[in-house]
Amino acid sequence: MRQRIERLFDRQVAEMVAREEFRDLETGRAPREDYDRFVASVVRTHLKSPQLVAFLYALAPPRAADDLRHNLLEELGIEDEAGVAHPSLLEALAKGAGLEARLPELDALAASDIQRTASDPLLYGTLREVGLAALCEVTAFEFMLSRLAGRIAHALSSHRGLPAESLRWFTHHSEVDVRHAEQGLDALEEYVRSYDFTEEDAWTIMEMTLRQNVFLKRYFGELSVPP
Amino acid sequence: MRIVSATVYALRIPFVEAFAHSARERSFSDSVVVRVVDDAGFEGWGEGAPRPYVTGETVDFMLGHLVERLCPRLLAVEIPPLAGPEDLPSIDALIPEAPTPVVLSDGASRAALEIAVLDCALRRADRSLGALLPPARKKVVYSGVITAGPRDKVAEHARRMRLIGLHQIKIKVGIGDDLERVRSVRDVLPEASLRVDANGAWTPDEAARMIEALAPFGIAAVEQPLPRGELAPLCALRRRSPVPLMVDESLVTIADAEALIAAGACDLFNVRISKCGGLARSRAIARRAVAAGIQVQIGSQVGETAILSAAGRHLAASIDPLAFAEGSFGALLLSEDVSVETVRFGHRGEASLLRGTGLGIRVIEERLRKYAAKVVAVPSAG
Repeated sequence: MRQRIERLFDRQVAEMVAREEFRDLETGRAPREDYDRFVASVVRTHLKSPQLVAFLYALAPPRAADDLRHNLLEELGIEDEAGVAHPSLLEALAKGAGLEARLPELDALAASDIQRTASDPLLYGTLREVGLAALCEVTAFEFMLSRLAGRIAHALSSHRGLPAESLRWFTHHSEVDVRHAEQGLDALEEYVRSYDFTEEDAWTIMEMTLRQNVFLKRYFGELSVPP
Repeated sequence: MRIVSATVYALRIPFVEAFAHSARERSFSDSVVVRVVDDAGFEGWGEGAPRPYVTGETVDFMLGHLVERLCPRLLAVEIPPLAGPEDLPSIDALIPEAPTPVVLSDGASRAALEIAVLDCALRRADRSLGALLPPARKKVVYSGVITAGPRDKVAEHARRMRLIGLHQIKIKVGIGDDLERVRSVRDVLPEASLRVDANGAWTPDEAARMIEALAPFGIAAVEQPLPRGELAPLCALRRRSPVPLMVDESLVTIADAEALIAAGACDLFNVRISKCGGLARSRAIARRAVAAGIQVQIGSQVGETAILSAAGRHLAASIDPLAFAEGSFGALLLSEDVSVETVRFGHRGEASLLRGTGLGIRVIEERLRKYAAKVVAVPSAG
């Protein structure tokens, strides 16, 4: 099961790296506005992550709860005295890219994403399936960031001139997400076991969650305020 | 009220994954969307999905037909007020009959324009489409549709549908290993109501043989077993079929409906707004079916956006009795839908009624432009 999930994540990461938009960012061919759009999309995607992790923590099976609680504390910047809340790191990223004035808009978009997720008709009959889909997506991002956050930070520094302090969200993720990704995979396996999913059903939900490349959708998708 | 401008968008929205049936594989939506604006600044949206193998319409035909023939005529006339259900046909009546030898019907073009004008007029009056199509139920329950793919893919789709809680499933057949594919769906969904759709792929003999072989799987209906054509073979097939027959490609116009009823050629109609020329004509066909004791399915177009899905929701809610409903897949199929509100159905295929003004959705024009292969403005009447 674990290998199957890793292959699914690997495929999505490979698709993202192969995409022209990503290659252009890495090689410096992208125009400045594409870097800014990318940064804005990253901020929008992750700004409300603590809330999402809190949701996952609420559903966590006992043996995965400690790791998810630690993730949550880390997101909130209170896992130790030197911690910084991840939304603050994202705000620093936006400011570093000169997008400070857009932060209220990005915050509103991130909030509307949560509102839409909560308001859309649920596909599944119980929270256990909803939780598995959410855990799968969060773990996929950790998996991707553990492999690409350093490269992305390097590209933003080299080709967009972002200062190192504004890139801490990426450098932090490149360091901790190797561990998070492993823990995430453990948590997924534990979740499937604890909630009595058949492997086939669990796989179907995860495959359906990642049917569309979530990284491309979130990082290179549309960034517009709904009317 | 007058329509003062119209814009036509030819969309290409990628699918999350390809969808196939015996006549066609499709990996993107190729709907044509119409936006109209009235003299008070209210806008309305409509959509049609050209299907060369159904009405004969193509995207290019629809663009030309709407821009050169249908829209200009609407730009020149006064749109009557829409007071109640009896006024539903009044917009259809304003759209010129523009027969052209190159297509069987211009249903998708008419539907796109009719829905746009209805949406606009109802927004202006601050009323929902439900005022013209009073709902007969509080929610619409949609069926799942399984693509004509290989067996392992079919089983995977069936598992998805089981987890989503869908209990009415249509399986595309007519591609060779139909029995095995239907068996794999039945194995995953032992309690579900299953239908099959051959999209006219069978000869009369093949159809009789296949229906006989499929019947033990507990099939609720066989859709379009034979190609559109003479009704005698369909009547003969119906007489010997152990499973109710539904028509789709054979049912495009009101005249088709009347001929099918007169011949006693089928048990169910698949009424689709785009295929049948809009809401008024679809409702007229459904009314004839109900009066003749023929069951009605409100079908959809693969890859339709929230616009056509919203119109379908209103129509399906208003038809009584309703055997099945299809559509409202939204972002389950499209990489992005075009409305602020999610029209997609939820668990068990259930979807609530749309109560906002007009169609009940807000279209994101920016997103239409993002996916538009062509945008054509219709010159104003003045």
